[in-house]
Amino acid sequence: MSAPPVPASTPIRSHGFTNEVLGWKAWLETVDLATASPEQIAALEEMSPQAKQSAYFLLLAHQPEMLLQRSIAFNAIMFAPGGMPRAERELGATVESRLNGCVYCASVHAQRFEQLAKRNDVIAQLFEDPLSAGTTPREQAIVKFSADLALKPDALSAEHVRALRQAGLSDMEVLDLVHAVALFAWANRLMLNMGEPIFPAATAAAAA
Amino acid sequence: MTSSAPTPDDVIDQAVPLAPDHPLYALRRERPKVVASTQGSYEGMFSPAVQGISVTERLLVALHACRLSKADSLAAHYRSRLLADGAEGAADPALVDAVASSNAALPADARLQTILGFTAKLIDRPIEGDRAAIDALLQAGLSTPAVVALGQLIAFLSYQIRVVAGLQAMADAGAAA
Repeated sequence: MSAPPVPASTPIRSHGFTNEVLGWKAWLETVDLATASPEQIAALEEMSPQAKQSAYFLLLAHQPEMLLQRSIAFNAIMFAPGGMPRAERELGATVESRLNGCVYCASVHAQRFEQLAKRNDVIAQLFEDPLSAGTTPREQAIVKFSADLALKPDALSAEHVRALRQAGLSDMEVLDLVHAVALFAWANRLMLNMGEPIFPAATAAAAA
Repeated sequence: MTSSAPTPDDVIDQAVPLAPDHPLYALRRERPKVVASTQGSYEGMFSPAVQGISVTERLLVALHACRLSKADSLAAHYRSRLLADGAEGAADPALVDAVASSNAALPADARLQTILGFTAKLIDRPIEGDRAAIDALLQAGLSTPAVVALGQLIAFLSYQIRVVAGLQAMADAGAAA
C-alpha cells in the first residue's frame, strides 16, 4: 500500500457540530456483556468488532433480532463494493445527520468522510450551511438530494433523480445514496432519543 | 397495474410497487444483503416473539408514522394488517381509523397515547428527543427492552418510508438515458 499520508485533521466547530471524537451515553440500562445471551453477542459481533464496548449497541442489544438485521443492513449499505464511492455515502449520511441535528452521528461520519476522501472542506461547508454545501456540481447535487429525502420524503420526485443523473450518477449510485440517507434517518432517531453525546471537555472531566 | 405481481413477501416491492419485470426490481437485487436485511428488519419489528409491546400496538405505531409522513402505500399496508385477523385478532376498526387520521383525537387509552405521542415526535421532530420522553414510556408501563423495540420500530419506519420514496422517484424518472 502506498496511500499518501493523511493530513492532520482540521478541527471543525460550527453551529454546535464538530468533526471531533465524541462519546455517547444511554438514558436506559444497557445489556451487561457478562450476562448477554448468545443471540445478543452474535448481533453485536455482526455490527463491528467495537460494538461490544459501545453503550449505543449494548442498548440496542436488548432486541437482538432487530440489532442483527440492522447491523447487516448498515454494513451492506455503507461498505458494499461498487456503486457509489464510500466517501459519498458518508456524505449523504452526514447531510441527514446535520439536518436532523444529530451531533454525534454527524461527527462520526464527518470523520469517516475525511478518512476516505482525505479532505474535509465539504464537511465544513455542510456544518455551516447544509443547503448550499458541495465543492463540485456532483457534490452539490448529492447534498441537495440527501437534504430533500431527509426532510420531505413525500415530495421526492423524478426531478430529483434527473438532477443526480445530470450530475453524472448512475442509477446504482442513486440507489446507494437513497439507502445511505434512509439508513441515517433510522440511526439519527435512535441516537437522539435513547441517549446523548458526551463532549471532549466532559469526557476529560469525567476521567480526571 | 403491472402485468406480473410483486413478490408477495417483500414489503418494499409491494409499496413502491415493483414487479419482478421492473428494471428497479433487478437493480435492488444488486444489493442482495440490503434487500434481505430490510425485509428481515420488517419481520423482526413485528415479531410476536418481542415481548412488552403487542404486535397490534406496533402496527398502530406504524400506521400513525406512515400517515404523518404521507407515505400512503405503506400506511395502507399497515392498515390492512391491523384489520386482518392476525394472531392477536383484528384491531377495532374505530381505533384504526382514529390512529390513521392525524387530526382526530387520539384514543383514550393512556399507554397508547404515550406511545403514539412518542411516535409523532420521533417521526417529525427527532431533535426534540429527551430523557423525559423515555421516562414517560417507562411510567406508562413499558419495560426497557420494550422501549428499545419501540425506538427501533419508529426509526426503522423512517428508513422504510425513505427507501420507498426514493424508489418511487426513481420509478417515476423511468429508465436512465
